[in-house]
Amino acid sequence: MVKGNWALFEEDFYSMTLILQTLMRTANSRSVMLIDKTGQLISTVGTPPDFDVISFSSLAAADFGANAELAKMVGEKDFATLVHQGKDDSLYLSMIANRVILVVLFDKKTSLGLARLKAKRASDDLQVVLDKVFNKLQYKNEDIATTTLGADFAAEAESEIDSLFKD
Amino acid sequence: MSLINYSSREINCKIVYYGPGLCGKTTNLQHIYSRVPQDTRGKMISLATEMDRTLFFDFLPLELGQIRGFRTRFHLYTVPGQVYYNASRKLILKGVDGLVFVADSQIDRFEANIESLVNMHDNLAEHGLSSEKVPLVIQYNKRDLPRVVSVPDLEKELNPKGVPFYEAVALRGTGVFDTLKLTCKLVLKTLG
Repeated sequence: MVKGNWALFEEDFYSMTLILQTLMRTANSRSVMLIDKTGQLISTVGTPPDFDVISFSSLAAADFGANAELAKMVGEKDFATLVHQGKDDSLYLSMIANRVILVVLFDKKTSLGLARLKAKRASDDLQVVLDKVFNKLQYKNEDIATTTLGADFAAEAESEIDSLFKD
Repeated sequence: MSLINYSSREINCKIVYYGPGLCGKTTNLQHIYSRVPQDTRGKMISLATEMDRTLFFDFLPLELGQIRGFRTRFHLYTVPGQVYYNASRKLILKGVDGLVFVADSQIDRFEANIESLVNMHDNLAEHGLSSEKVPLVIQYNKRDLPRVVSVPDLEKELNPKGVPFYEAVALRGTGVFDTLKLTCKLVLKTLG
């Protein structure tokens, strides 16, 4: 498992977004999101949700985290998928590569069965891309940030922080 | 752990406020929420009990703006301080980039601070982390109250490694931004 930061580069991000778009279209869902298991949004496609996707991501990760602990308590390794069914809108969530969470937001235009089927296929495809990403990071992780963000990054960030957090 | 997305040019970092129950973690976030410009903050989420005690976490996303072309965000979390919510605290520490330990300066909370700090180190260790790897800032809160432990005594017991610290009165906002600013800077230093 990769420790420390992780980074996503253009090519992998593009491959992931393509998979998400295919999933959204074939499952006839409203939108699809990919969220890091620590609660950070990676990508979203489809109708822009009319809620705060950043907060949504943190809650989705917490939801998964809490359910994983529940799973352990009942003697399961994990609950790999979660379903939240509402009157109009529903959510299908699944964990991929023990690292990212795929979220399908769908309404009455589609069924849970279809969402589940298409999400399973997308998960397999995403797994391939993620394996590639993590393999890359395994070797490069130590110096990935310093080589690409540039040495001035911290200095510039400091002045931004000072101006934003004026008491 | 921070996520750097070179395609959408975004950097997301996670900062967790840790500390014993009722030490002022949520108050820190509430003050930050009330003072930063509206366009730089997202929705503040509080998963709390009816008595306003944090049940799972508080969450506040802050957007720093563009730094060298990267949209930089900090996600601030608090943990529930009460002893029996340890499973939740452990979960929230997952992927942490920076830590603020909020200590309650009151004499009768001295032991609770120590217990919470030990618990934080234990939980970090379970994630393969330590305060040597994750930037840590200590905030001695409630300095305005009458029966408080002196800062040298707090330092001696809670800060043997001499990490940076601030005195604070979070309810009035004193020391809140100093603590956050330094933590953010330390986190970004680990990136760049």
